[in-house]
Amino acid sequence: MGRMGKQEDFVLRALEERDVRFVRLWFTDVLGFLKSVAVAPAELEGAFDEGIGFDGSAIEGFARVYEADMLARPDPSTFQILPWRGEGPATARMFCDIVMPDGSPSYADPRHVLKRTLSKAADQGFTFYTHPEIEFYVFKDSPQPGADPVPVDRSGYFDHTAQSQGADFRRDAITMLEAMGISVEFSHHEGGPGQQEIDLRYADALTTADNVMTFRTVVREVALSQGLWASFMPKPFTTHPGSGMHTHVSLFEGDRNAFFEAGAEYQLSKTGRQFIAGVLTHAAEITCVTNQWVNSFKRLMGGGEAPAYICWGHNNRSAMVRVPMYKPSKVNSTRIELRTIDAACNPYLAFAVILAAGMKGIEEGYELPPGAEDDVWSLTERERQALGIEPLPRSLQDAIGVAERSELLAETLGEHVYDFFLRNKRQEWTEYRIQVSAFERDRMLPVL
Amino acid sequence: MTPRTPETATGRQALLRWGFHDVERAQEGLASLGEVREPVVAMFGKAADPDLALAGLLRVIEASGEPDALRTALIEDEGTAMRLLLVLGASQALTDHLVRHPEQWRELCDPALGSTRPAAYAVRAGLLEAVGADPHDDAPVATLPERAAADALRVEYRRHLLRLAARDLAHHVSVDDAAAELSDLAAGTLDAALAVARARVGEAALTTRLAVLAMGKCGAHELNYVSDVDVIFVAEPAEGVDEAPALRVATQLASAMMQVCSDQTAEGTIWPVDANLRPEGRQGPLVRTLASHRGYYERWAKPWEFQALLKARPVAGDLALGRAFVEVVEPMVWSVAEHDGFVTDVQAMRRRVIDHIPSHEAERQLKLGSGGLRDVEFAVQLLQLVHGRADPRVRPPTTLSALAELTRAGYVGREDGDALGEAYAWLRTLEHRMQLWQLRRTHVVPEQQDALRRLGRSLGYLKDPVLSLDEAWDHHRREVRRLHEKLFYRPLLEAVARIPGEEARLSPEAARQRLAALGYQDPSAALRHLEALTSGVSRTAAVQRALLPAMLEWFADAPDPDAGLFGFRRISESLGRTPWYLKTLRDEGEVAQRLALLLATSRYATDLLEREPEGVRLLGEDLAPQPASAMLGEMRSLAGRQGSAEDAVRAIRGIRRRELFRISSGDLLGLVDVADVGAALSRLTDATLESTLEVVERAETAARGLDAPPTRMAVIAMGRYGGFELAYASDADVMFVHEPHEGVDPQLAASYALAVANELRRLLALPGTDPALDIDADLRPEGRQGALVRTLDSYAAYYAKWSEVWEFQALLRADAVVGDPELRRRFTALVDPLRFPAEGLSEGDIREVRRIKARVDNERLPRGADPHTHLKLGRGGLADIEWTAQLLQMQHAGAHPGLRSTRTVEALTAAGVEGLLAPLDVEALVLAWRTVSRVRNAITLVRGKPSDQLPRDARERAAVSSVLGYPPGSSDVMVNDYLRTTRRAHDVVERVFWG
Repeated sequence: MGRMGKQEDFVLRALEERDVRFVRLWFTDVLGFLKSVAVAPAELEGAFDEGIGFDGSAIEGFARVYEADMLARPDPSTFQILPWRGEGPATARMFCDIVMPDGSPSYADPRHVLKRTLSKAADQGFTFYTHPEIEFYVFKDSPQPGADPVPVDRSGYFDHTAQSQGADFRRDAITMLEAMGISVEFSHHEGGPGQQEIDLRYADALTTADNVMTFRTVVREVALSQGLWASFMPKPFTTHPGSGMHTHVSLFEGDRNAFFEAGAEYQLSKTGRQFIAGVLTHAAEITCVTNQWVNSFKRLMGGGEAPAYICWGHNNRSAMVRVPMYKPSKVNSTRIELRTIDAACNPYLAFAVILAAGMKGIEEGYELPPGAEDDVWSLTERERQALGIEPLPRSLQDAIGVAERSELLAETLGEHVYDFFLRNKRQEWTEYRIQVSAFERDRMLPVL
Repeated sequence: MTPRTPETATGRQALLRWGFHDVERAQEGLASLGEVREPVVAMFGKAADPDLALAGLLRVIEASGEPDALRTALIEDEGTAMRLLLVLGASQALTDHLVRHPEQWRELCDPALGSTRPAAYAVRAGLLEAVGADPHDDAPVATLPERAAADALRVEYRRHLLRLAARDLAHHVSVDDAAAELSDLAAGTLDAALAVARARVGEAALTTRLAVLAMGKCGAHELNYVSDVDVIFVAEPAEGVDEAPALRVATQLASAMMQVCSDQTAEGTIWPVDANLRPEGRQGPLVRTLASHRGYYERWAKPWEFQALLKARPVAGDLALGRAFVEVVEPMVWSVAEHDGFVTDVQAMRRRVIDHIPSHEAERQLKLGSGGLRDVEFAVQLLQLVHGRADPRVRPPTTLSALAELTRAGYVGREDGDALGEAYAWLRTLEHRMQLWQLRRTHVVPEQQDALRRLGRSLGYLKDPVLSLDEAWDHHRREVRRLHEKLFYRPLLEAVARIPGEEARLSPEAARQRLAALGYQDPSAALRHLEALTSGVSRTAAVQRALLPAMLEWFADAPDPDAGLFGFRRISESLGRTPWYLKTLRDEGEVAQRLALLLATSRYATDLLEREPEGVRLLGEDLAPQPASAMLGEMRSLAGRQGSAEDAVRAIRGIRRRELFRISSGDLLGLVDVADVGAALSRLTDATLESTLEVVERAETAARGLDAPPTRMAVIAMGRYGGFELAYASDADVMFVHEPHEGVDPQLAASYALAVANELRRLLALPGTDPALDIDADLRPEGRQGALVRTLDSYAAYYAKWSEVWEFQALLRADAVVGDPELRRRFTALVDPLRFPAEGLSEGDIREVRRIKARVDNERLPRGADPHTHLKLGRGGLADIEWTAQLLQMQHAGAHPGLRSTRTVEALTAAGVEGLLAPLDVEALVLAWRTVSRVRNAITLVRGKPSDQLPRDARERAAVSSVLGYPPGSSDVMVNDYLRTTRRAHDVVERVFWG
C-alpha cells in the first residue's frame, strides 16, 4: 500500500545503477509551458514521500498569491533517463502531480484537470485514448525580433536531397523519442517549407499528454543541438499552412472500442455519434482551450486543411471532426479525428475539454446532425447557413466571449484554472489589440 | 382416544428431548433400524438435525451393498456411529454423497480420525492416485481418461472432505486446524487437476515448468469449506525450450487445470478457481514468467496488489519455481509500508473498517456486517502493516496466528487479543457450519427457524438452540465491535503506564509510530499527555484509562488530533476531581464523543469550554438553540438575584457564554442549519440586550433617586444583527432610541438615556471570563459624529431632512427588537415608508446605490486580499448578494409587502415568489449566501476568531473543510465548490444588480 511502492524503489535503484546526478521534476503550467525543478537523487526519496515544496505563486496560473506553498510529487511510472545530455553522468526526468500541503490534489494542476475528467469518464466505464499528429516548423536560426524566420528547407513535401538538414533532424528526433519510450507511429513531411509532422502512437490520454510535453521538449532540444530552431507556433507564416495537432480520439469500455458497431453507418456506434455531437455542440466553448493563442486563429481562419466551421464529415478533410475510413481488419481502430486543435495548446487541458464535451453528448444523448459532404470552405455563406453549419469563433476575443458563458468549461477546468485562464487570455487579447502591426504600416504608411 | 402404552409415551418424550421433530416418522424409522436402534438412538440427540440424520442413515443403509457390515459397525463401534450420525445431521450435501458412494461409510471407521490430522503429502498422494497419476513423479500425469479423471477427482475430494467433516463435528477440531486442512486439501486438488491438464496437453507439457501459487484464504492457510480458490501462475520454459511456445503450453495447462476444478460433471463441481489477482487482473495474461512478474511488480503494481501478495504461497506444480516467485516478491511486500502517505492510507483503511453496507442483509452478514469477520481481518492486517516492517514476528499470513503474534509482541493487549481471537474463531466456526450444510458458499446467516436450530445444535447448543445461537452470535459480534476499535488504541496507554509487569508492551518508539500513523503531528507530546492523563492509581486515572482508547480514535477522526488530546488534558485537569465529570464521560458515550470532536476541531468551542469547563455537561443535553423567551426568562431571574448591576450583567454574560457554546456545538456536530445558527445568535443577543437594558435602567433610576425611569428606551438591531444573520463573534450593530414620558424635562430624559446606553455598552464589554458583546452604534444618523441616543422625533426630523438613499438602505435591516414595545412599534412605523418607498426608487437613486457599491467594492477590500475568496466583499460574496436583495427591496417592497423583511434569504425568496427574480437566480443567490455564511462560521469555529478570507493556512483550510462535511484530503474540492457557487451568484448579481 501507499506511495513508497515498488515503482519508487525501481526509480531509486535506477538512479544508482545509471549514475544519475540530477533528476528533473517536470510539471506543466496552466498555459502549457513545461516547468522543471532539478533535484539531486538524495532528495528524491523525500520527494516521493512528501513532494518537493515550491513557491506556486512563481508559476503561471498556479496559486492564488497566498497559497504559495505547493508540493510537486513525482509520478514514478513516468521515470525516464534523458537521452540528450550526451556522455557522462545522466539526467532523468519524471512528471509530477501538484498537491496541496494537506495532500489534496491541486485544482491548479493541469494534469489533475485531465485526471479528474478521465476519472469521471471512468465512472461511466470509459477510458479515453488519443493519438495526436503534431506539426511544427524547423528554422535555420533562433528567432530574432523583427526578422522573418528562414525555414530549414524550401521544398514542399520533402525531397530526398543530400544536403537536407531536415532529414538528419528528423532521424535524430525519432531516435531520441524512442529512447525515451515514446513510440512514433508514422511521419511525413508537411506542406510548408521546413514543416514537419511526427505522429505519436495511440495511448491513454494522460500518457499521450505527458508524451506531447516530452515531445515538444525533445524536438526543441534536437533542433538546438543541430543549430536549428523548432517551433510549434500555430501559424508562423501568412502564406504557408499552419501547424496543427490533429488528434484521433476514441473511447474504450474495457477492451472493447465503444465507437465501433458492426453494420452501423461508418461502423460508428451510437456512443460514437453522441460523442461527436457533444464535441460539435460545445465546440465554440472549448475553442479557447484547444486553440489558445491570438495566433491560433490565424491558422483556423487561414483556409487550407484547417477547419473553421463546426461540422463533421466522413473522410472530409475540411470538416472539424472527421470520421476516417473504416478498416475492416481493425475493429479497435474506430475513432474520430479532431482537426481544430493546434500543437501550441496545453495538451492536458485540451484533452480534458474534448473528453468533457464528448461525454456530455453521451450523457445527454445528443443527436448527431447530418455530416457535411462538401468542402466546407467552398460553400457560400448562405449555403452553410442553409445546412446549419456555424462558424467557430473567429478570434481569441470571440472564443473568450463564448467561454465566459460556458458552464461545461468551468466544471471541467475547475474554478481556479477556468478563472485564471480566461483572465490571462483576456489580457493577451488586450495586449494584442493595441499593437500596431507590419500589415498596417505596409498598407497605410505609403498612402496615408 | 386409544390409551398409549407406557413404552411409546416414554419413547415419545425421549425423542423430543433428543431433538426429533417429526416423532411419528422418527418412531417408524427407528423401528426399521431393528437391532441397531438401541445402541444408537441416544446419539441422535447430538446430531445437528436428528430427523435428517435418521432419514440419511436409512438412505445410506438402503443404498449400501453391504447393509449387514454397516449395521454391525454401528452396533459395535460407537465412534463410527457417532461420526456418521453427526455428518448426516449437519450436511445434506455429504449425505447425498454417501448415498451415491455408500462404500465410503467405511472412511468413518478409521479410529485415527479422532486424533490425527492427515499429512498434506498424503492428501496430495491420494488425490493424484485417484486420477491415476504417480505422486512421486516430478510432474505427475493422469492416466485415467479425462472425464473419468475429473469424476474420480471429485469423489476423492469429497472423501477427504467427509473425513474432515467427521473430525470437525465429532472430534472438535479447532477452526484454524480445519481451515488449514481445507487449504491442504485444496492444494492437493490443484495438483491433481494439473495432472489431468498435463494428460490433456500431452507431451508438450514437458516443455514448460508451471507453478501454482495460492493467494487469499487458501494462500494464508485459512480456507473455508466452500470458497473460490485464488491463484496466480508462474511459468518458465524447460531447458532448451523457447519462451514463447513454453508460455503457450503453460497457459493451456493453467486454463485446463482451472476448468478441471470448476467444471460441472456427473459428480458435481469442486470450486471455481479464480486467477484475477494476477498482474493486470482479467486483462493480463494468465501465465507470466518470473521475470515478467518481477517487472510488473517493480513498475506497475498498485499498493493493494502487494497487500494481496502477503498471502502468496506455492501449492502446486513446480514448487521450486513457486518458491522462487515468493523470494522475488516478499521483500517488496514489506517495504511498501513506511512512508508519509501511509497516514492517509491508514485512515482510508480505518474508514473501510468502519463503513458497512447499510442493507437489510448486512444485519445477517457474518462477513461484512458490523462486528463481522472482515472487521477482525482488517484490524489485524492494519496492525501488521503498521508494525510488520520493523518487526518480522508479526507477519504470519493467517489471521489467528498473526493476532497471536501481535498479542505476544505486545502490539495488542493480552486480554483483548485473546477475546478477539475467540470471537473470530467462533464466527468462523459458524461460517463453516453454514457452508457444510449444502457445500454452498454463503455468508448470510439464515432466518428460518429450522435452519437456525440446526446451526445452533451443530455448535453444541442442544438446549434452546435458536435463542442460544442468537445470543452467542450477538455476544461475539459485540465483542468484535468493542475490541476492534480499542485494539489500536489501548496498547498506547499501556506504553505510557508505569505499571511493572512481565507482559510485553508497546515500546515508546512503536507507540510514537502508531500515533504518527493516526495523524498526530507531535507524537512525543501526545505520549506525554497520555501519560499525564493516565498515570497514578487514582480513580480519575482509572476512568481516563478506560475512556481514552475511544477518545483517541475520535480525535484521530477530527482535523486536529493534537489539539484534541491537549484540550482534553486541560479540561480534565480542571475538572478531574468533579464527581459528575468523569461519570458523565464514562456513562454517556455521546458526551465523550461530542467533546472529542469539539476539542479536536474548534478553537472557538474549546476556548468557551476552557473559560468554564462546566459546559461539558451541556453536551449531554439537547443542543438545539433555546427559544428566546426561555433565555430571557433565565437571564432576568438570575440577574434579579444579584446585588450590583455589574454582578447582574456578569451573570447574564455567563448564560450567554453557555448558550454560545450550545449553539456552536450544535453547529459543529451538524445538528443546526446555518440559518438557524444566525437566528439563534440574534435571539441570544436580543435576550442579552433586553435583560441588560432592564438591569441598567433599574440601576440608573435608583442612582438618580427617581421613582420611575424618565423616558422609554428601545434598542434597534441593525446590520447583520437586524437581519437575524449574526455570526459568531460579530459585533452587534444597534441604534438607541428613547421617548421622554409626558411632562419630563427633555434634558433630564436625554442625559438619563445617554447614561443608560453608555453603561450598557460598558458592562457588556468589561473584561471577564465570559466573552464580551461589543455594541457598535456607528450606523446611527451622522455616524460617530452623531448623538448616541436620539428621541423618536429627532430620528423623524433627521430622516425628513437629511437622508440619503444609503441611509434608507441601512434601515432595511433595522429591527426594533429590544426595549419598550410601544416605542419599538412606533419606530418601525416611522422607518417603514422610508425603506419601503411606495413609489420605488428613482433612476437617480438606483444609480447612486450602484455607485456606492462600486466604491465600497473597491475601497473596502483590504490590500492584498484575494477578491475571489473574500467572504464579505469578494466576487459573489455576502455584500454582492445582500446589496442585490436590498436594491430589489427598495424598488419593489412598497408594492409587494412580501419583500418587507430584514433577512436576506427571506427577501430573495419573496422576490422569487413575486416574479421579480427568476427561480434559478433565487436559487443561485440563496445557495451562495448559505455557503458563504457557513464557511464564515466554520472559520470562526476553527480559528477561534473571525476572518473574512478563506484560510490561507493549509491545516486551517483542511479543518474548515472538515467542519463543512468534506472528507479528509479534499480541501481543494471545497475551495472549488466555493468558487463555483460564488461565481454563479456573481453572474446573477451582474445582471440583476448592475443591470
